[in-house]
Amino acid sequence: MAEHLVTYTVVHQPRRIKLPAQPIPHGATPEDIARCLFDERMNERYLHKVAEYCYYPATRMFLEMVQEQDFRLAIGFSLSFLRQAQMWDPDLLALMKKLVAHENVELVCVEPYHSFLFYMDIGLFIERMKKTREELYALFAKRPVVTDTTEMFISNDIYFALDQAGFHAAVLDGREWVMNWRETTHLYNYAGKSLRLLPRHYKLSDDVGYRFSNKGWEGWPLQAGDYAHWIREAMGEFVFLAWDYETFGEHHSRDTGIFEFMRCLPGELKFRGVQPLTPSQALERFADRVYELPLPQFPSTWAGSGGSEFFLGNSVQQAIFQLMHHSYNKARLTGNPELIDLALWLMQSDNLHLIQWFGRFGTEAEVSAYFTPQEWWSLGPAGIANDMQQVYRNFIVALDAYM
Amino acid sequence: MGEGPLLRPVLPENTEFVILSFEGPDPYSNAGGLGVRVTELSRALADAGFRTHLFFIGDPEKPPIEAGGGRLILRRWGQWISRYYPNGVYQGEKQKLYDFHSSVPGVIADEVVAPARREGRTVVIMGEEWHTASTMCAISDLLHARGQRDQAILLWNANHTMGFENIDFGRLNFTTTITTVSHYMKHTMWLWGINPIVLPNGIPDRLLSAPPAEEVQAIRDVVAGDPMLVKVGRWDPDKRWNMAVHAVAGLKRMGLRPRFVCRGGIEPYEGEVLQTARSLGLSIYDVPKPETQDLAGWCAALADTRDADIINLKFFVPEHLLRLLYAGADAVLANSGKEPFGIVGLEVMASGGIAVTGATGEEYARAFENAIVLETDNANEIVTSLAYLREHPEEAARIRAQARVTAAEYTWARVVELLCKRIQLLSTSQNLSR
Repeated sequence: MAEHLVTYTVVHQPRRIKLPAQPIPHGATPEDIARCLFDERMNERYLHKVAEYCYYPATRMFLEMVQEQDFRLAIGFSLSFLRQAQMWDPDLLALMKKLVAHENVELVCVEPYHSFLFYMDIGLFIERMKKTREELYALFAKRPVVTDTTEMFISNDIYFALDQAGFHAAVLDGREWVMNWRETTHLYNYAGKSLRLLPRHYKLSDDVGYRFSNKGWEGWPLQAGDYAHWIREAMGEFVFLAWDYETFGEHHSRDTGIFEFMRCLPGELKFRGVQPLTPSQALERFADRVYELPLPQFPSTWAGSGGSEFFLGNSVQQAIFQLMHHSYNKARLTGNPELIDLALWLMQSDNLHLIQWFGRFGTEAEVSAYFTPQEWWSLGPAGIANDMQQVYRNFIVALDAYM
Repeated sequence: MGEGPLLRPVLPENTEFVILSFEGPDPYSNAGGLGVRVTELSRALADAGFRTHLFFIGDPEKPPIEAGGGRLILRRWGQWISRYYPNGVYQGEKQKLYDFHSSVPGVIADEVVAPARREGRTVVIMGEEWHTASTMCAISDLLHARGQRDQAILLWNANHTMGFENIDFGRLNFTTTITTVSHYMKHTMWLWGINPIVLPNGIPDRLLSAPPAEEVQAIRDVVAGDPMLVKVGRWDPDKRWNMAVHAVAGLKRMGLRPRFVCRGGIEPYEGEVLQTARSLGLSIYDVPKPETQDLAGWCAALADTRDADIINLKFFVPEHLLRLLYAGADAVLANSGKEPFGIVGLEVMASGGIAVTGATGEEYARAFENAIVLETDNANEIVTSLAYLREHPEEAARIRAQARVTAAEYTWARVVELLCKRIQLLSTSQNLSR
């Protein structure tokens, strides 16, 4: 029976591209190219909206939980989010710094732009993970030792890359096709390397992350006592839960009772003898019980049904994925660091995530469509699919002037 | 009977204007008739006392906003894009169009309509040409979303049919009142299911004063044509240049000594026209830029034309010389096959010249009353008309006099008066408060 709980949540806002695609003037500076590629007005608008409904109330909630209820929390931030907060809501960033500064909170590194760089350039991926670790240290005065990637992607090669980057542990989603007969409730590693793996208990995580407000779910309405009981009943040493930060107030609105549920959880856990830990505390406590987990060559992710098909499963996603490659390659050929940086922004996994619905239906498509900016729907599904690709095509052609 | 006027008066105290156009007053922005139109119209509105905002693709090196303390406020748009496109308003058209459409509506709503509304003024927003059609729809949508649409009057004007394939006329017709410049255009637009209101083009007051007679005579003397013909316009088949050249050849065959002064653009169709002229036995002389842009310089340049039948001006012709040519010629061939309005014909008439127009948008022209109006594309129609005038000089003089009277009815000040009457109609339709 699990006597410990590790809780992780990740904060991210994409740098949304501009649709309809804006034609880029020939010879445009990198700054003007960026102006055509990204819809910063929309990004600011969404940041403020999510801040109001989620980031402020959720951060205050977690602060109370760690200050008053001895809860432990791990938190990751994409640089994509942090830059938006720096530009458009410094008060929010200050509040989040206050949360991270608490001794019960551990800072986790994530892929800075929430991108698919690990697919395109694994060497640069390692460098940027190292650099992000230092950027986070500069901002929060805590140097992360545990890392996430993008959408919790991990595979054989990504594991070795994170090990080379010097992290102590990484997170992965504990899907059956990855774990096989193993439980998610233990620490793992691969090939005798020092990098530990924390598998997310995806069923218990999704009870809150996806199902909490689903009135058709047999577990609805979920009570903190029941949930603490399920955690305690899990076989193994610890349960690792992980959610989007936006779960609290955005995916599940305030009136679903999500905040009250979370505030009750520490007491219910304590009552059942479940002790919260940070990831590093779990690494230390279970250092002598680390098991081998054969990692797949195809990556796993916490999105969709756990494989890359959520991002690369339809023809539009595959086209955009190709264009991500071509954009990056072209930028590399220019040798211009600012243009390479723009190509990295264009690699954001969100640009594949939010078009997953194309040609599909069902719950995963509904999740994908939820993340598609409302403002885009006036273009129609085909228009969105076409103009998303056009953004990349425009970028590639704009770089002709630098060749 | 209620108190107060039956109709809401359109006055500077209760109304201000916004004009949206790609072209505008800057040399960078002035590619043709549209630039002249919006420059003069905005000036006339300001002269009539109305605060007028002109949004256009301006020179990137000039200030983005230029008010100059007057009522006319120039808003140069897309300058960050224009810096990449130094060759004028239509270079980088696609890029400029996107920027215009995506950024102008918000600025108009925030910086023009909202303050005007607070001060109790109605805003009349006028879009010009296909480039602004989608922007006008977006402005209407935005004002509607803000609950301000009823306090703004939106007009969209077609000066010709170019770019119509880019317009969602169903949406445009729902969100704006569509106008055009002549009944010829109105009837043409019926084919698109649109019934626009006609608001004619105009000319500035300054063109109504007659050019100095001695300067006109000097130009006539140096050209020494019998008859002297003039044509100004783009080298474009629609302008019927070949018809004009055939007419010159026809006059020559009658035993006269015509001389044809022409000024085209940079279009390659020039080559075809001049080849036609040569095949008809006409000689051509290209006149380079005069040493000085004054009467002496022009006369010197025109004197050195070696008795050519066609005098092809290869330099920028300033307004003053144009007016001397218009007034001095026995006829100015504004004989386009399709002309939405025909501003050149009106300018010729204002100068006291004899305009030879086509029979499409030039509804100000009446055959043998104030102009020659061609009903066919047969060059003989020009030849016989000019021969008739040569034999009836008193009739030619009468036409010249009547032409100036007609032109005086088409000044921009008159156009603004008519526009205000139309706005009264629209105000009533929109139930704007008196």
